[in-house]
Amino acid sequence: MSYAYLFKYIIIGDTGVGKSCLLLQFTDKRFQPVHDLTIGVEFGARMITIDGKQIKLQIWDTAGQEAFRSITRSYYRGAAGALLVYDITRRETFNHLTTWLEDARQHSNSNMVIMLIGNKSDLESRREVKKEEGEAFAREHGLVFMETSAKTAANVEEAFINTAKEIYEKIQEGVFDINNEANGIKIGPQHSPTNPSLPGAGGQGGSQGGGCC
Amino acid sequence: MAFLEWRKFNFFDLKPNVDKERVAELFKDYDVVVATSGNNHIVLGDSVGQIYLISRAWEVTMFRGYELRITLAQQLRNSPLLITIGEDEPGVNPLIKVWDTSRDKNGMPHCCRITRAIPGNRPVVATALCVHEGLQLMTVGFSDGSLVLYRGEVTRDRGSKQKLLRDASSTVTGLAFKTTAAAVLLFVATDSSVFVYNVTHKDREQRSNLDTIGCAKKCSILAESIQESHFMVGRNDAIYCYTTDGRGPCFAVDGEKVMLEWFRSYLIIISTTNRPTTQNVLTNVTQNTIRGHSITILDIQNKFIVFSAIVDKVKAVLIEWGGLYLLDYNNNMYHLDEKDLQSKLSLLFKKNLYDVSIRIAKSQQYDADGLVDIFRQYGDHLYAKGDYWGAIEQYTKTIGRLEPSYIIRKFLDSQHIEKLTSYLQAVHKQAQATEDHTTLLLNCFTKLNKPENLKEFILLKDRDLDFDVEIAIKVCRQASPHEALMLAKKHNKHDWYIKILIKDYEKYKEVLDYISELGFEDAEMYMKKYGHILIKNAPYESTQFLKRLCTDYGSNKSILSENFSNGGLELTQKADPEDFIHLFLSNSECLVEFLEHLIAKGCILSTPVYDTLLEHYLHVRSALDTVAEKNKLGQKVLKLLQNSDVKYDKAQALVVCHMHGFSEGVLYLYEEEKLYQQILRYHISRDDMSSVLACCRRFGHQEPTLWVQALWSCIRESKGASMDLLPEVLNIIAKERLLTPQLVIEAIGTAKSDITLGHIRSYIVNELIKENEITKNDTELTNKYRSDTDKLKQQLETLRNGVNVIQGSRCAACHHQLELPSLHFLCQHSYHQHCFQSFADNENECPACVPQNKNLLELLKAQEYNKDLHETFHSQLEKVNDGFSLAAEYFGRGVFKKVTVITDSPTSNGSSKYDQLEMKKPQTKPTKPEYPTYGPGAEARLRQAENARTGGTSLITVPEGRMRMHEHQQSATIESNKKFNVDITEKAFKHEVGKNPFEPEYDESLNPFAEDDLDDTNPFEDDYDKNLNPFSS
Repeated sequence: MSYAYLFKYIIIGDTGVGKSCLLLQFTDKRFQPVHDLTIGVEFGARMITIDGKQIKLQIWDTAGQEAFRSITRSYYRGAAGALLVYDITRRETFNHLTTWLEDARQHSNSNMVIMLIGNKSDLESRREVKKEEGEAFAREHGLVFMETSAKTAANVEEAFINTAKEIYEKIQEGVFDINNEANGIKIGPQHSPTNPSLPGAGGQGGSQGGGCC
Repeated sequence: MAFLEWRKFNFFDLKPNVDKERVAELFKDYDVVVATSGNNHIVLGDSVGQIYLISRAWEVTMFRGYELRITLAQQLRNSPLLITIGEDEPGVNPLIKVWDTSRDKNGMPHCCRITRAIPGNRPVVATALCVHEGLQLMTVGFSDGSLVLYRGEVTRDRGSKQKLLRDASSTVTGLAFKTTAAAVLLFVATDSSVFVYNVTHKDREQRSNLDTIGCAKKCSILAESIQESHFMVGRNDAIYCYTTDGRGPCFAVDGEKVMLEWFRSYLIIISTTNRPTTQNVLTNVTQNTIRGHSITILDIQNKFIVFSAIVDKVKAVLIEWGGLYLLDYNNNMYHLDEKDLQSKLSLLFKKNLYDVSIRIAKSQQYDADGLVDIFRQYGDHLYAKGDYWGAIEQYTKTIGRLEPSYIIRKFLDSQHIEKLTSYLQAVHKQAQATEDHTTLLLNCFTKLNKPENLKEFILLKDRDLDFDVEIAIKVCRQASPHEALMLAKKHNKHDWYIKILIKDYEKYKEVLDYISELGFEDAEMYMKKYGHILIKNAPYESTQFLKRLCTDYGSNKSILSENFSNGGLELTQKADPEDFIHLFLSNSECLVEFLEHLIAKGCILSTPVYDTLLEHYLHVRSALDTVAEKNKLGQKVLKLLQNSDVKYDKAQALVVCHMHGFSEGVLYLYEEEKLYQQILRYHISRDDMSSVLACCRRFGHQEPTLWVQALWSCIRESKGASMDLLPEVLNIIAKERLLTPQLVIEAIGTAKSDITLGHIRSYIVNELIKENEITKNDTELTNKYRSDTDKLKQQLETLRNGVNVIQGSRCAACHHQLELPSLHFLCQHSYHQHCFQSFADNENECPACVPQNKNLLELLKAQEYNKDLHETFHSQLEKVNDGFSLAAEYFGRGVFKKVTVITDSPTSNGSSKYDQLEMKKPQTKPTKPEYPTYGPGAEARLRQAENARTGGTSLITVPEGRMRMHEHQQSATIESNKKFNVDITEKAFKHEVGKNPFEPEYDESLNPFAEDDLDDTNPFEDDYDKNLNPFSS
């Protein structure tokens, strides 16, 4: 369970676009056609490897319902990445993206990596939002774009991992202040010696080693 | 709102007044201010510092803990320790007391430790208390936000180190220890923040902030579930969960939270509500509790609201004795009784919430059978609703427990085949399928017309063989042979593979390729089994393969593997060609090729194989059109026949050659078998006279009758050619005396052909000349014999009646001048007496004549002996081909003489004359009584008589002549005709003389019975009459 970094994600988007399914697919690798409404925020975690480093992703899967907006807003802060999801078969979910984006930008830290996800790509026949439109939106707002299907698992891994890569790159570039946990990034116990400025970090690492023995 | 919360169920029963109002009685005067529970009792503290221990039977033990009041208390779950904070004196002076409830001292539990709880040096109100179950850590939170951590044994003052952790300025509202494998964490909730301390190591406490929002007192709890422990904080909008890393999930539950409690995997939330309690409404109790509390119990794991009710204000939620108890402001004790799983499930079933029930059952470790039953019910429900796919999904989960026939029967309808298919697939995946299931599934695939599925099923199933391949093949074959083929190939069901290829695809060459890849035994077996079809349809390839199989078979695969494994140790196996011959029945060319190959390879074949080869050679030959080819093949056949190595059955070969009209072969075989007659007949039947002649010439010396045959054929045919032949044939016949001329003439006469005299003239002339010569010779001989006979008769006469002059002047032994005393024999030999005595064995015989006489006598004796062998004669007669000649031989031996002799009167005369001679004999030697006139004696007499004669050199007597006659008979049968021509010598005469006594002997044996001679010769007569017969007198 030791990790180099811990990234916190948040999944946002209108209700019923498949946020919980994306998470389930990513963490459990399964698809549940009937899913209860998310009440509040659900939570999932998974380890991935980027650049040979173990990275733990903690993902908040928020409720899309307007009624829970106040709860979910509190989760923006402390997220390093956000998956902004719309449903390609329902145009209104695409139309609401601007609102969501505004919300996110307002409540999150400015460096948060946002990925735009057009979900339910398996339902090609019922598509209402063209891929090009999604791409255009993403370009316009400086987002990464991807169409996924939680049902077939297409691009699901990629969506999460690409986001993580982006965050990782930003860390390497020094854009993120990794010491501020409000950014949604935490340095794992073994990774901390690289950063001597963290108080007690070195000592902690050493004591861990001692504890093991 | 209704849609914005989890699904609601009622899994708890709220039972009021479980304590029979005992608690209410206790607290008539004072209020309950603290409540805790653990270690099998509930602990309550009242507003004046008294502490009550309540046991399960609601028995109460009361003691005074503090003089003034008690503010906080924690009873450890698994230890009798009770930790309380209260005040003995007025002012802010909290004291921590640790009680050991198991140790009684003066009617109250033993107080192990009393410590002042002061952060720093000024007194602050303690607002939170938490003791680690490990009894080594204790922490107290204060209203100023400071936190004191006590390390060391909880029960003891000494050794305990306290550490002040001051940070926030807001009141500490909740504390919780969380122990993980590697660390001990302390969650702290204040009214404005949430944070966690890592308190694993002393003096290295490390804090991390979790949130900047806090919560009210009692509104935080550590939820310890199987998966993950969260520190839950209740706020007005929701319950927030925190992990050590930060904020986790949150559950939106509306309402101002009063209290949170964790029970098993349930989160109990007590919140304020504006609605009146149901009980108040129902019981119409008029109390001034306008605002009741609502109890919500969340099943965090399954995300349900498992209970929700509105009750009077709740003072405490107590978890003890495995149950959940509520204490309200009126000191009423309620028991929240969780329903058992069955009733929960039945509740859910009623609502058709099977998926929920499954989740619940699973989370409560329901046993597999029960789960299966739920799945089945769910399936049934979905089925009834028409959601067949859903139903199948559920039924799939019952595989292994529920009899598949139950489901299959439901879905057997043609509309549901697809679903049934998926079910059956699942059954197969779980290796629960029987043969019937496989069959059904395959049938489903075919009915659905989904060959790709079928293919997939068949091919992907290689990981484990969970169906009966045989059945699968059988079923597949009906629908899509291609799949069946693949299946068969994959599972090495060679038999099926071949069968399908042959019957369904008619790809015979592929079959051969396939077989050739098999091991020897298999290849041989399948060739035997299917060779017939293969040869019929792919003759060339099959033949090639069989050649290989019967000579040096190594399958394509095995060659490779063998080279690797055995390092070149090649062990070629050979099949017995005989097993395959019958396969070629209808294809002679291939068989011929096959067998030729085998022979060329030097195989030792059995007789039937060669026979077959021959037969098929001829068969092929007869099918050929051009003569040249026929001849070529004919040569081959002949070569085969002539090959000494080839052990064919000649008789059968002959028949076969005959059947196919292969004359060369027939002739060769005739010759081999020495059936020259047949060869001749063959030529005759073909009117090939020159061949007839050649044949006769060739084999005539071995079998002369061929000429006769040729003659007959000539006669019958009467064609020009045969006429040419005739003279030679006749010539040979004449030369070899194969046929009497009479027969020849007769035959020619009977012939229908127009053979003229001209054709046979020379033959007849020659024959007649020859016959004439013979006749002449015969006549001459007759005359000669006659004269001889006469001479003999004269000689006999002279011997008998005339005078024999013995003129011998020299001794026959010493050749000196004869001197007296001398002996003279009738054979004209004379001896000195001393010479005779020294030479002779027997004084009655002439020593010179003895050897010859002896031979003669022995011959006679032998004849005598054979005479009696009638049985021998008969048996020989039966055996012998030429009965006549045998009879003649016996006749010659005198077997039948009896008859002839009786009529021969002159002999008896002769014998009597001998008798007379005997009387005259000068030197009568004693003779044997049985043969008084036996030869030697008679001879002696004769010799004496001869001696008496002077100079009689060649006197032939009558008896001698008669003996000649006898001899003639004898020689006619025994010896060749030449004997006739032999001149009668003196020795011969003596021979006769020696024979003569034979007749008298006969006479002698007979005569005693004749009355005439009785008186003279029977010396016993007198003795008998006079002396010996005692009976006569």
